[in-house]
Amino acid sequence: MNSLSGEGYVVELDADRDTVRMAGALRLGGLSEYGPISQMLESALDGRSHLTIDLTGLEFLNSSGIATLSKFVISARNRNECALLIRGSNDIAWQGKSLNNLKRLMPALELQFD
Amino acid sequence: MNDSGAAERRIDSHIPFTRSLTFRQAAVTLLIVALLGLLGGVVELGADWRSMRAEIQENTLRSLELVRGSASQAAFQFNDDLAAQVVDGLFAHREMESVVLRDNFGGVLTRRDREDTPPAGAVVSRLFGDITDYSVDLRYGAVPEASTDVGALEVTLAAGEIGARFTDRGLVIFVVGLIKAVVISALVVLIFYFMITRPLIGLHTAITRIDPVRPGDWPRPRFPRHERDELGQIVSSLDHLMQAFQQGLEQRDRARDENMRLGAELDVSRRIQHILLPSRDELDAIEGLDIATHMEPAQEVGGDYYDILSHDEGVRIGIGDVTGHGLESGVVMLMTQSAVRTLLTSREQDMVRVMDVINTTIYNNVQRMGCGKNLTLALLDYRRALEGSEPGVRGHINISGQHETVIIARRDGSMEVIDTDELGFPIGLVEEMAHFVGQISTDLHEGDVVVLYTDGITEAADEQNRLYGQDRLLEVIARHRDESAESIKDTIINDVKRHMGNQILYDDLTLVILKQK
Repeated sequence: MNSLSGEGYVVELDADRDTVRMAGALRLGGLSEYGPISQMLESALDGRSHLTIDLTGLEFLNSSGIATLSKFVISARNRNECALLIRGSNDIAWQGKSLNNLKRLMPALELQFD
Repeated sequence: MNDSGAAERRIDSHIPFTRSLTFRQAAVTLLIVALLGLLGGVVELGADWRSMRAEIQENTLRSLELVRGSASQAAFQFNDDLAAQVVDGLFAHREMESVVLRDNFGGVLTRRDREDTPPAGAVVSRLFGDITDYSVDLRYGAVPEASTDVGALEVTLAAGEIGARFTDRGLVIFVVGLIKAVVISALVVLIFYFMITRPLIGLHTAITRIDPVRPGDWPRPRFPRHERDELGQIVSSLDHLMQAFQQGLEQRDRARDENMRLGAELDVSRRIQHILLPSRDELDAIEGLDIATHMEPAQEVGGDYYDILSHDEGVRIGIGDVTGHGLESGVVMLMTQSAVRTLLTSREQDMVRVMDVINTTIYNNVQRMGCGKNLTLALLDYRRALEGSEPGVRGHINISGQHETVIIARRDGSMEVIDTDELGFPIGLVEEMAHFVGQISTDLHEGDVVVLYTDGITEAADEQNRLYGQDRLLEVIARHRDESAESIKDTIINDVKRHMGNQILYDDLTLVILKQK
C-alpha cells in the first residue's frame, strides 16, 4: 500500500479497493508541499476506470490542499478516462461547500456524504 | 548585545599568590609533613633515649665487671700501682666524670676526677641524672662463697657529656626530619601541580574567558592524558553545558526574532486590512442607501474584504473572505480590492467578465506566491430606480459571486436568504471559472435591508463551541429591521459579542448593512 504521512495526517492509496484515503488534518504550507500528494492522486488515475477519494476522516484541509484537490479533479475531468467518487462527511464543516465546488468542476463526479 | 558589556560581566580572574591553590597546597602539605616529622622525631628520640640509657648502663656495668678482678686484687693488696692502672683504664672513657677505688676501711686508694666536663642542664639531669652513679663491691677469695669484702669501685658518669651526645643525635634527627618534610612537600606539590593544579588553572582561565553572549565558543581546554578522568569529565560536562546554553540562547534569539517578525507582520496585516476601507464621508455621500459597516480583525489577522465604491451609475459593493490568516491573506485581499476597482474604473459592466478577470488575476498571482490561497467574493451592483419604474421600487441590486448568503429583510416583514454558492466559484482556486458565474437581481423598496457578512459572524463560537449561526442572525435582523443601518449593525455586533463571551476572536468579523432609503 502506497502511503504518505506527516504530522497529524495520512494519505494512502489502497490499490485493491481503488481508493485514496485522506485522513487527519492537512495544513501543509503552500502548493509545493502538496506536490507529493498531488502526484499520488494523479498516478492513482493511471490505468483505472474508477477511483474513490475517501475524505470521511479528513477533519481539516487548508486552502492549498483544496487548491490541490481542485487541480486533481480538473485533471481527472480532462483525462476523462476514470470515474471519480468522492466520499465526504456531513459532520465536517469545510467539506459541504468545497466538495460541492469540486462537483461543479467535474459534473460527472459522484459525491457521497456519509 | 555588545562585547564590552560582556567583558564587564566576566569574572575578575586575578588571584593573589598567597590565596592561590598552589601556595595553599604547599603550605598545608609542608605543615602536615613537618608536624608528622616532628612527631616521628619525638618518638624516635624517645626510643633513642631509652636505648641510649640501656646502652650506657650496660656498657658501664660491663666495663666495671671487666676490671672488677684487677680492682679487687689492688684493693686486697693495697697495690696502688694496680689500682691506678684500673682506675685510669676506666677513666679513659670520655663520659666518666669520676672513678674512685676504695678499700674496705673507707679509704680512697685511687681517685680520678674530670674537671672539664660540661655542666649538666636541668633537662639532661632529668633524662640521665638517675643513671650516672655506679658502684660495685670488690671481694677477694678463691671461691665466691669464701671471699671477703675488700672495698668498692665507684664511678660517676658525666651527665653533661651524655647530654651533649644525646643532643647531637636529636639535632641530626630534627634536621633530617626537616629536610624530609621539605622534600616530601615539594614532591607532593609538584605532582599535584602537574596532575591537578595546572589543568585546573587552565580550566579556570578558560572559564573566565567565556563570552556570556556566545558560551558555545568557549576556549575548551585540552588536557592530554586527562580525557578519561574526572578532569576530562568536568571539561566535557562543561562543554555540554556551554553548548546547551548556546542552543538555549539561539532558540531564545530565534523566538524573539520570530515574535518580532510576526508582530510586525500582524501590524502590517492590520494596517492593510483597514488602509483601503471606505471612509464614513464616502458612505454618507452615497444617495439612496443608508450604509453601516463593521470590520474587526481577529487576533491573527484574517483576510476579510469589503468595499463600497460609488460611481456614476450606482454603487458597487464587494464582500469576500480570503482563506487563512496573516500577511499573505492580506496581500490577496489588497489585490482583490485593486482588481475590483480597476474593473469598475474601466467601466466593465458584464459581471461574468468582471469575475473572470478578477479570478484570472488572483489565480496567477497566487500561483506566483505559491500559497494556494483563494477567496469567496460576492459583488453587488446597486442602481437607483429610474423614474417610471414600478411603484415603490427605489433601487435594484444585482448579486454575483460565491460567498456567504445575502440576507434581505423586506419592509413587509418577509426575510429572504439568497444562497450565492451557484453564483460563482472561489476566486483564485482554478484558472477558469467564467462558466460558474451566475447572477441574481432583485428590487429594493424603501426600508428594505440588505445584510452582507463574512463567516466570522455566523461561525463565532461561544465557550461550549456553539456557533452563532445564520438563524440567530436572521432573528436579530428581523427584530431590528426598522432601525437605522448603524443601529442594526451595532445590535448584531453586540449580540455576536455577547454570544462569544470571553472567547478569543479567531476570525475577522465583517458586516455590511445597506438600507434602502
